[in-house]
Amino acid sequence: MNQFLPILIATLVAGTPLVYSALGELVAERSGVLNMGVEGMMVIGAVVAFIVMMTTGSLFLAIIAAMLAAMLLALMFAVLAVSFRANQVAVGLALTIFGTSLGSYLGKSYVGMAIVMEPSVLTAYAARIPLLGSVLGQLHPLVWLSWVLFAGVWFFLQRSRAGLILKAVGEAPLSAHALGYRVSAIRYLATLFGGAMAGVAGAYISIVYTSLWTEGLIAGRGWIAVALVVFATWRPVRCFLGAYLFGGATIAQLFAQSAGIGLPSELMSALPYLVTIIVLVLISRNAALMRLNIPASLGKPFTAEG
Amino acid sequence: MSNFSRRDFLKTSAAASLVMAGGTKMLLAADEVLKVGVIHMGAISDTGWEYFQANAWRALEKEFPDKVKVTVLENIAQIQDCERLFRQLSTQGHKLIFGTTFSQYASLKKLAPMLPNSHFECCAGIDAGDNLGVFEARHYEGTYLTGIAAGRMTKTNVLGWVGAFPVPQVIYSLNAFLLGARSVNPDVVLKVVWANAWVDPGKEKDAVAALVAQGADVLSGSPNTPVQGLAAEEKGVWSIGSTGDFSAYVKKKQLVSFELDWSSAHINAAKAVMADSWKPESRWLGLGDGGFVKMTTSSPELPESVAAEMKAAEADIISGKLKPFTGEIKDQSGAVKVAAGQSLADADIKSMTWLMEGVQGTLPQN
Repeated sequence: MNQFLPILIATLVAGTPLVYSALGELVAERSGVLNMGVEGMMVIGAVVAFIVMMTTGSLFLAIIAAMLAAMLLALMFAVLAVSFRANQVAVGLALTIFGTSLGSYLGKSYVGMAIVMEPSVLTAYAARIPLLGSVLGQLHPLVWLSWVLFAGVWFFLQRSRAGLILKAVGEAPLSAHALGYRVSAIRYLATLFGGAMAGVAGAYISIVYTSLWTEGLIAGRGWIAVALVVFATWRPVRCFLGAYLFGGATIAQLFAQSAGIGLPSELMSALPYLVTIIVLVLISRNAALMRLNIPASLGKPFTAEG
Repeated sequence: MSNFSRRDFLKTSAAASLVMAGGTKMLLAADEVLKVGVIHMGAISDTGWEYFQANAWRALEKEFPDKVKVTVLENIAQIQDCERLFRQLSTQGHKLIFGTTFSQYASLKKLAPMLPNSHFECCAGIDAGDNLGVFEARHYEGTYLTGIAAGRMTKTNVLGWVGAFPVPQVIYSLNAFLLGARSVNPDVVLKVVWANAWVDPGKEKDAVAALVAQGADVLSGSPNTPVQGLAAEEKGVWSIGSTGDFSAYVKKKQLVSFELDWSSAHINAAKAVMADSWKPESRWLGLGDGGFVKMTTSSPELPESVAAEMKAAEADIISGKLKPFTGEIKDQSGAVKVAAGQSLADADIKSMTWLMEGVQGTLPQN
């Protein structure tokens, strides 16, 4: 039982970057834009946040800068994929390669530095809350903020009119266009939102999670985020819980190993991907279910002429 | 140094190969500059393996500022590209060419005999071959010594190890770490967690959390980023810089550390090429002058008595009096792997695939 709390906390900490990046990608995909460049945007977010944090010492500025930098990449994606109707998969892959290389270049002179952060005042307050304090007090405010983001995205998609329009754009862009909604503009916004969230996810990893910059820092978490959206069949609640499931799978296997429980660790490392494949197989077997969930125009460029 | 990007390299190489087309002579004239090429698979800035490889050619440049010119290519990633670039470096007249990782070994083994105008050296390669020298560190001599410090400083008698991949190099390192610890504190156990990644700082941090939650209070490991040390510091436990000194990051809780220092491999090879006496050699060196393992920073909190104990063991290892893998050593199943009084042969250390008794953790079974 005394193992439970460390595992819970480690799972929340490890799942947080996935909450940000996957929810961002979810919104983008719901508008019909498949941006596979999440990994690249996260790398840029991580390196820019780290540089700004090193030079200004302000976490707030670091996160804003990471968001803006990643949004810039997302904008590039939107220009190519939405305006010029380039193949979204190809542009997304290019974005990851570009982001990763640019990240190494920008971060070159920052390798070998580490951020020493004082525990946040908010965390100290949170630690005093009875019962919950023992968990909350060990989590960075960015972790709490990801819960707010989740609530916001859920409300936006499931309960708001704007969310309905966004989903309409992803489902039936021609009809949305005929009704007078600006399909391209909405897709731009959704893509930019995805970029901003990937930026925060990257910032969280370089500043809170590891507190240093090194190449390979993101280590495929952007890809897990993309997989997670599919795993969640484009639903925010499943996406949110899935982030902790994916984060938790790694944590659980590390704890199992240190406790001497003999599980093949390579297999456990592959678990998030295996789970995604299994879920994909299951839902694709049911054509109706698949059709119900996947945004109908996902990955398809839109032209008003049809 | 000329730290080319790959593109620059490709641009200039066309012109350079024209110049070289006249044919190259192996012997260097006395005032000629020795061109040395180095290909890093990864980024020099990884704070770990490649970083120390880069320190080696930097040391070489410093040793011969006017006589040596080093061309460095990094982040090649694809071994096929490496092969092409090795050829290119050779046709451009680089007389001495280094590969920095094991993954380049197979290609070099194939290429070296075909490119007699250059001499090749591969770090972490298995055996020297035609026109190819290899060099590797006896990591275990470093982990044995740091193990002594860990065994003395642990209060819980539980040590932790974050492993990258379960390859022999990592396995003999962690076994020796426990042997060192047990040489001063027989009750110690070592918990091992595999990250299954050479570089994934996030996972390394989580692995540290898992080990600390299991009671480990001195941590070491094989993936070489400072994250492990930082995470340990956050948890208030000791960490050990294994194959890298991370005291610049881990300000308070790095207990001791050792580094890999490959400079003698680079400098001696360059000297031999300049004297035209280079021969393909297989070197496996540890502590001592010109060795590849170098003890570095200790924490001011390390008791003097422990530091002295480490020093004594270091001297004994260098003199050959102390061989870390000396029996009796049992494996996890209790089977005797090294009989009492016997020492393990180098070949058996290099190919070690068993965890010793007292290691808590598993090896993936094949």
